[in-house]
Amino acid sequence: MAEQTEKAFQFQVGISQNSKLASKKKGNAKRWYCDVGLGFKTPKEAIEGTYIDKKCPFTGSTITIRGRILTGVVVSNKMKRTIVIRREYLHYIPKYNRYEKRHKNLSAHLSPAFIGVELGDQVTVGQCRPISKTVRFNVLKVQKKIIKGAGAKQFSKF
Amino acid sequence: MYQIRIIEILEEPEILAAPGEQSDSEHLVVQMWASLVAVLMLGYYVWGISRDSRHKRNATGAKRAHYRKKRKFELGRQAANTKIGAKRIHAVRVRGGSTKFRALRLDSGNFAWGSEHATRKCRIIAVKYNSTNNELVRTNTLVKGCIVEIDATPFRQWFESHYALPLGRRGKKPHEGHEEGLNKPRSNHVERKVAERKEGFKVEQALDDQFVTGRVLARVTSRPGQAGRCDGYILEGKELDFYSRKIRSKGKH
Repeated sequence: MAEQTEKAFQFQVGISQNSKLASKKKGNAKRWYCDVGLGFKTPKEAIEGTYIDKKCPFTGSTITIRGRILTGVVVSNKMKRTIVIRREYLHYIPKYNRYEKRHKNLSAHLSPAFIGVELGDQVTVGQCRPISKTVRFNVLKVQKKIIKGAGAKQFSKF
Repeated sequence: MYQIRIIEILEEPEILAAPGEQSDSEHLVVQMWASLVAVLMLGYYVWGISRDSRHKRNATGAKRAHYRKKRKFELGRQAANTKIGAKRIHAVRVRGGSTKFRALRLDSGNFAWGSEHATRKCRIIAVKYNSTNNELVRTNTLVKGCIVEIDATPFRQWFESHYALPLGRRGKKPHEGHEEGLNKPRSNHVERKVAERKEGFKVEQALDDQFVTGRVLARVTSRPGQAGRCDGYILEGKELDFYSRKIRSKGKH
């Protein structure tokens, strides 16, 4: 029931909402999930969870991951189910034989399968079809930020 | 050169109208011709609605420069806003030559009772709920995903003939005609099949209640403005609970 937060009934397309079948099953109704390929493991939460997200690469039937796979650092997670990641790179200036720092921001859709994604986490995103005006990527893997040394002993959050 | 001609024609429809004829319809024809000719001569379409993103701001917020006119492939058309009434469908020629059927008024659709694997053509009575816009409920506009009330009799007839069980009868004495499905003459073979089906079979309470009133809630799954049809499925189980609650809370306001 927790996942029905919208004005329209949320369900996975293609999974029948039949009363007959649902009552026969012991647990929840059937859940559709898939393997996105390219060696990415589908998170347990995607298989066992109850969230409905049509744009999730693991439980949304219309999204396929193809094209580029990029990584970045999470800069903002204030949007609903999407994050902004920052990708840094060095640009070479031939005249001075040196490099300069540049960065590009990228909006990526964050599936509810990934819980507790905070600022500073490293994230792997895969290209998919346009999901919104600026979102063309979907989060596939999250590597939490490691607080090294003295920082680890300190209270960073609750 | 051609542009000037078009304007001339629009301003003086009398040129085309023969003396004594009405020039109104001609004017309309001329306007349509003008659009067509504009497309051919000027290289862009004169429909107002476009689906481009060149008029929108960038992701950074920058205003995009307007450097080219609207293209025909970016066109959008007026919404169908299909209402409930005697069937009225217009065919539209679309890009590539295919046709879309713009339903302007529909009165019935093919609805499915999923768990029973039965589909029947039913009359659509009213729009009950639309998650997007209450206005569309008030004006009884049919769109994909809206919840409608359909006439339940085709399903009741099928059910009673298939299961030989009464559906949606609350102890009332049924009319003569309604006995048909329940007690129609069946061969032995069919009787056995029916008995097998009946065993331990029960319809959901919430659904049965709906059948009593003769009206059942269903969700529209086709796109009336694109396909010209209003098809869907009967709400059951969790979905039915969800929408019943929504409709009831709406009614309270």
